[in-house]
Amino acid sequence: MKAKSLFVCLCMVLCLWIVWMAPAWAADAIKIGVIGPMNFVQGKGHWNGATMAAEEINAKGGIQVGEKKLKIELVKADSNEFLNVTDATNAMERILTHDKVDFIVGGFRTEAVLAMQDIAMDYKKIFIGCGAAHPELCTRVAKDYDRYKYFFRGTPFNSQFLVKTCFIQMATVGAILKKTLGIPTVKVAIVAEKAIWVDPMIEAAKGFIPKMGMELVGVWRPSQSATDVTAELSAVQASGAHMIFTTFSASVGITFARQAGELKVPAVQVGINVEAQKDGFWDATKGMGNFVMTLNTYCRGVEANDLTGPFVEGYVKRFGETPTYTADTYTVIVHGLVPAIEQAASLDPGKIIPIMEERQFKTPSGVIKYMKDEQGKQLHDLSWGPGLLTSLGVQWQDGKMVGVWPNKWKAAEGAPEITYKGIVPYKIPPWVIEAYKK
Amino acid sequence: MVLDIVVSGLIGGSMFALLAIGFSLIFGVARIVNIAHTAFYMVAAYCIFFFTQRIGLGPVVSMLLSIAIVTCFGLVTYRFFIEPIREHEAAVLIGTIALAIAMQEVMLLVFTGDFLSVPSLVGGFFSIMSVKIFYQQLLTFGAVVAILIALWLMLMKTRLGLAIRCMAEDREVANLMGINERLVAMATMGISVGLAAFTGAVVVPLTILNPFMWMEPLIIMMAVVVLGGLGSLKGSFLGAYILGFTEALVVFLIPKGAFLKGSVALSIMILVLILRPEGLFGIAFEEER
Amino acid sequence: MGLLGYYFRKSLTICKDEVLVLPSRVAVGVFVIALLALPLFSQSPYLLRVLILSGIFAIFAASWDLLSGFTGQMNFGHALFFGVGAYSAALLNIHAHLPAWASIPLGALGAVITGLIVGIPCLRLRGTYLALTTLAFPIILLGIIFAIPDITGGELGLSGLSRLTGSRLWDYYLTSVIMLISCTVMWKITDSNTGIIFHAIREDELAVRASGINTTRYKLLAFSLGGFFAGISGGLYAHFMRIAGPSTLEVSMSFTVVIWAVFGGIVTIYGPVGAVFILFPLLEFLRFWPEYRTLAFALVILLILLYMPEGLFPYLRDKLEIQCPRCKIRNVAKRKTCRVCAAPLN
Repeated sequence: MKAKSLFVCLCMVLCLWIVWMAPAWAADAIKIGVIGPMNFVQGKGHWNGATMAAEEINAKGGIQVGEKKLKIELVKADSNEFLNVTDATNAMERILTHDKVDFIVGGFRTEAVLAMQDIAMDYKKIFIGCGAAHPELCTRVAKDYDRYKYFFRGTPFNSQFLVKTCFIQMATVGAILKKTLGIPTVKVAIVAEKAIWVDPMIEAAKGFIPKMGMELVGVWRPSQSATDVTAELSAVQASGAHMIFTTFSASVGITFARQAGELKVPAVQVGINVEAQKDGFWDATKGMGNFVMTLNTYCRGVEANDLTGPFVEGYVKRFGETPTYTADTYTVIVHGLVPAIEQAASLDPGKIIPIMEERQFKTPSGVIKYMKDEQGKQLHDLSWGPGLLTSLGVQWQDGKMVGVWPNKWKAAEGAPEITYKGIVPYKIPPWVIEAYKK
Repeated sequence: MVLDIVVSGLIGGSMFALLAIGFSLIFGVARIVNIAHTAFYMVAAYCIFFFTQRIGLGPVVSMLLSIAIVTCFGLVTYRFFIEPIREHEAAVLIGTIALAIAMQEVMLLVFTGDFLSVPSLVGGFFSIMSVKIFYQQLLTFGAVVAILIALWLMLMKTRLGLAIRCMAEDREVANLMGINERLVAMATMGISVGLAAFTGAVVVPLTILNPFMWMEPLIIMMAVVVLGGLGSLKGSFLGAYILGFTEALVVFLIPKGAFLKGSVALSIMILVLILRPEGLFGIAFEEER
Repeated sequence: MGLLGYYFRKSLTICKDEVLVLPSRVAVGVFVIALLALPLFSQSPYLLRVLILSGIFAIFAASWDLLSGFTGQMNFGHALFFGVGAYSAALLNIHAHLPAWASIPLGALGAVITGLIVGIPCLRLRGTYLALTTLAFPIILLGIIFAIPDITGGELGLSGLSRLTGSRLWDYYLTSVIMLISCTVMWKITDSNTGIIFHAIREDELAVRASGINTTRYKLLAFSLGGFFAGISGGLYAHFMRIAGPSTLEVSMSFTVVIWAVFGGIVTIYGPVGAVFILFPLLEFLRFWPEYRTLAFALVILLILLYMPEGLFPYLRDKLEIQCPRCKIRNVAKRKTCRVCAAPLN
């Protein structure tokens, strides 16, 4: 009896093992692996964007590769990268060798993406990163082109450009504060989470803030998962800052915004607050995040070009929320990868890569062009600038995320003014006005 | 500045104290290192979120409901998963880790990994000498004091308290004196989990919810308990404020190193332990040499 | 020639009389042969990767058992040694351009030094105090790593290490052989006088000291040995993954190793090794069920513990074998009398 049940158990394990190891078979399809932390917002963005792209392309009959029309088949891989980097590399290896995908999109945590990048390069498959902003990912391409040429950045543009955009937005808001409240020198406090992508930004900010005619009053570095920042907030208020330059990618962004709003700290928040880019922000801060401003990629009602509206509205209709930047897997597939494949009329990365490097194409967030470094080596990084990708500045105004930047923005002296469709004026929080009103 | 440090030290310390006392209690009585302690705190927070946001009950009602539910849940898990393996110290240790992970996963499935939040019991703030303090923080502090007094009364004046103290002193002799060891351990577990749930209820409106929120307070809580001496409530109380003030000092004196507050707090714990291996108020258990 | 024949015959006899008579020894033999022969049947890079990582983590889990299982010095921050091994191997490889065969042992030496640094303050602590104190060390180190990103790369970690070997197959053989050798060494250590002293320290430290043994020295030895092997596995991990990042020091890493070791059964060495080879592939296997993966993993551990609180392998071994009450030699459970002294087994 016991032996029999043991036998049954063994058989079941064997069957499952076969199911597990059996390669998935499908004939005429291009397989795209979507890898990301699927239990989290970022991974959901990856998957949703890719799903939308695949549905759209397949509805049109698929991708024209030479003579054949191939459909897209998505393979979902949970990298679990926030919790376990080993897991992420295993997932990567699995979709490459066992599911035999042709292309990969996704990835978020830089430490994990670096490790996953190496694996994808080992198998010479095109991997388009959609989340990690660190320049290292792309400097690797320039350093060892033959090995790393299969990596492209899909979104967002690298952190140097993020800083640049933030400074421009800071200057814009600073000018508004100066004008409306009559503050002679705007004092800025930097509150940034402790993370390496932030370090160069702070260094840059220290140099740049005085140049913009503002005064830096202090730098605070709470941990990424801090759940109480009242201490930092008291210190910021004591320093007399008018503006807080925030750089948060993690949960501390919510805590900070909520507690700052609740304490009515008389300073406006500008910068990057990834949590504030999400629809759930208003609810998560219980409305205390009102008037928080952040860099963002998409915002309902703001259109960088004619592709933005349909994409954002389509996404909202399909998934019930505004896309965040990891949902750019859509852009990467529909506007980047698929036309390149069709142009190359082949799935051979060797033929697709030169085409991707040369193409310049319009996407919902702007025009994408891959850049080269100073020595003219391919970086596979995204170019930034007016007419290309610029990103948006959005502000929470009474429960709604609205776009406030670029609003009559001049990239350089004499350059044309840029204002995206649907931009509204920036609002200063009433308690700040009250605090500094003469 | 000084007042800032005092206030944030008191608030931070109070939260640690509430968690640490529950943890310390069950360790003292049943020698269970309950890694899942803060996981119960996380579950309580989610319960409150569920009742207030999804069902729409009032905050006080949902707070009480959540504490009751989590306490029952804690007793059930204790009865089925921890009690059978209580004699195997190592097994209890990883059993509670597995329990915590299981709870985290269930919450992840039900509420996803998004950051959520619940409304405060009392909104607003007041300021003393330009230092702003949330009413909620004041409430937390008050609750800690109230709970501590209640606990002290319970331990000193009731029969159950006497039994708990006996068990903490010497389990075997307590058993020989006719104390129902199982029942007392069970009751203590209930109190301990209830305290964790209560902490969740008062602290959570100040912070945000996610299924991994149990990890961070866990470490500091354990540091507090070790610093104060395992099983000593007085020690846990004092240890909590020592570490609370340490963190506040780090944040205010080296603002650029605010992320180091955990590391500094842990270093202080290690320093104290090198000087006093049994913690500040711990008893060196002779039978456990 | 005659000598060779003698050794051959001797090994055959040992095989017949000592190995084949006990299911546990047969199982170990089968495991070793299966591990070495597996690439003959499948060279799927994914499968090999899972097994390579299992091998690396097996050394890690066994080293925890050597330190904490045997001496009872509950170490809850074992990731410290793993992380130090990984980071020092990475630093040596990237800055000093040492190849893997040099950077891994040197990294392990770094872990030994860390073991001593951590061990000395921990000498006075016992039981749960020690467990919770050691938990703090990797977190403190993590703070330091974040504080000096120029050297350590902050949360990016150090990437771009040289490979272990040229191909996946050789990686597999290298890690498997290192794993088998280090686990055998660890097992031999625990079987020696030193191991007996370790065990005695766990049972009653005072009695050991009363017997004139310097327990301080032995505890530090345990810390260095545990640190060394954990450092080896950390170095292998860094070179295999080609990145050494803060994830090697996270609390979950320290917890995982305790889970593996206790699940397999402590004070055995083979228990943790077997547990890693079951649990690590299990977690991969559960990928077909992604949402419930971690939950299922946690439940498996809870249920197994509920029925086998001593750990899986000691439980199985006790079912299959019994110890002779007279000469303490192990026998198959089916036997009525001891295979050596013929005493009745009941």
